[in-house]
Amino acid sequence: MHRIEVDAEIDLFEVNKRLAAENREFLKKNGVTAINIMGATGSGKTLLIEKTADTLSDGVRMGAILGDVVGKADYERVARHGVKAEAINTGKECHLDAHLIHHAIEKFDDVDLLFMENVGNLICPVDFDLGEDYRVVIVSVTEGDDVVEKHPEIFRLADVIIINKVALADAVEADVDKMISDARRLNARAKVIKMDLKNNTGFDEWIEWLQEVIGGMC
Amino acid sequence: MSFAQTIVENVLRLAEEKKAKKVRGVVIELGELLLINPEQLEFCFQVASHGTIAEGAELELKFTKPVIECLMCGKKYSEPIAICECGGIIKVEGGKDMLIRRVEMEV
Ligand SMILES: Nc1nc2c(ncn2[C@@H]2O[C@H](COP(=O)(O)OP(=O)(O)O)[C@@H](O)[C@H]2O)c(=O)[nH]1
Ligand SMILES: [Mg+2]
Ligand SMILES: [Zn+2]
Ligand SMILES: [Zn+2]
Repeated sequence: MHRIEVDAEIDLFEVNKRLAAENREFLKKNGVTAINIMGATGSGKTLLIEKTADTLSDGVRMGAILGDVVGKADYERVARHGVKAEAINTGKECHLDAHLIHHAIEKFDDVDLLFMENVGNLICPVDFDLGEDYRVVIVSVTEGDDVVEKHPEIFRLADVIIINKVALADAVEADVDKMISDARRLNARAKVIKMDLKNNTGFDEWIEWLQEVIGGMC
Repeated sequence: MSFAQTIVENVLRLAEEKKAKKVRGVVIELGELLLINPEQLEFCFQVASHGTIAEGAELELKFTKPVIECLMCGKKYSEPIAICECGGIIKVEGGKDMLIRRVEMEV
């Protein structure tokens, strides 16, 4: 036996990068605008998709891929609104990746808008491009008003940052303005929306943004 | 855990190509912005390599820094920020890759 040293350049993200590019090509070819929705468990990702389904005009065909550790609860919630949906269980993995999406997107070739609800986590989804067109990060004031500054990477790559449940801010003593200025400091490019999905604060602004990006893709 | 697993899978594939009997060491280059805790990665590597020829291999981690600079005035920063002192937009490049750079093995 003797010892050898082998120099290598094995890119551990290579497979994900390649599959994400394939997903992106498939979506583009079929005229699908895809949006990766990220945020902690309970921040309001599924409710945002449900309310969007009820609000968008019938002219927009919507689909949703629901990533979750176990179960089909989110899938059932969204499917009830007449949205074409697919559940992906990630088990121990704490994020969706391009490979999981690769298998799921085939049936969404006839939609205009495809939401990908990521696993509830503000860390791991950052490193996995799914092939989406836009990234939305939603946090709620009940996670504490330091949640933005504690997770700089995910806010830096967002196209839209939603601060949700603002009507509860006083009850949990969260400083919404601080959350918004943290978001702006980390990411000058993103659209920041103050939202409350129970009383519709900021919801019009969200729908306007969506219509802009769907329109822009056609 | 998935990073450690991916490392082990790729190391074992390379070891098999070289017909190695034992993997002694692995050098990984990883971007600082991945925010990986080295101790955790080492622990997960031990778990993921258990029972394979990579068990007990030494993991050497080399962190790479992102290049963070202003698109307008070119000023460089060590921490990612959104806006430069001059009002220009900051570009963050690199710091998010993970590569296997070298594998030491016995053949
Ligand atoms: N009060 C209040 N509750 C909300 C709001 N948005 C979501 N919720 C509730 O928070 C819980 C978690 O929402 P869900 O959409 O399942 O979050 P997800 O885990 O991110 O998909 C549900 O009970 C929602 O009804 C909000 O703006 N205000
Ligand atoms: Mg959900
Ligand atoms: Zn994780
Ligand atoms: Zn500058």
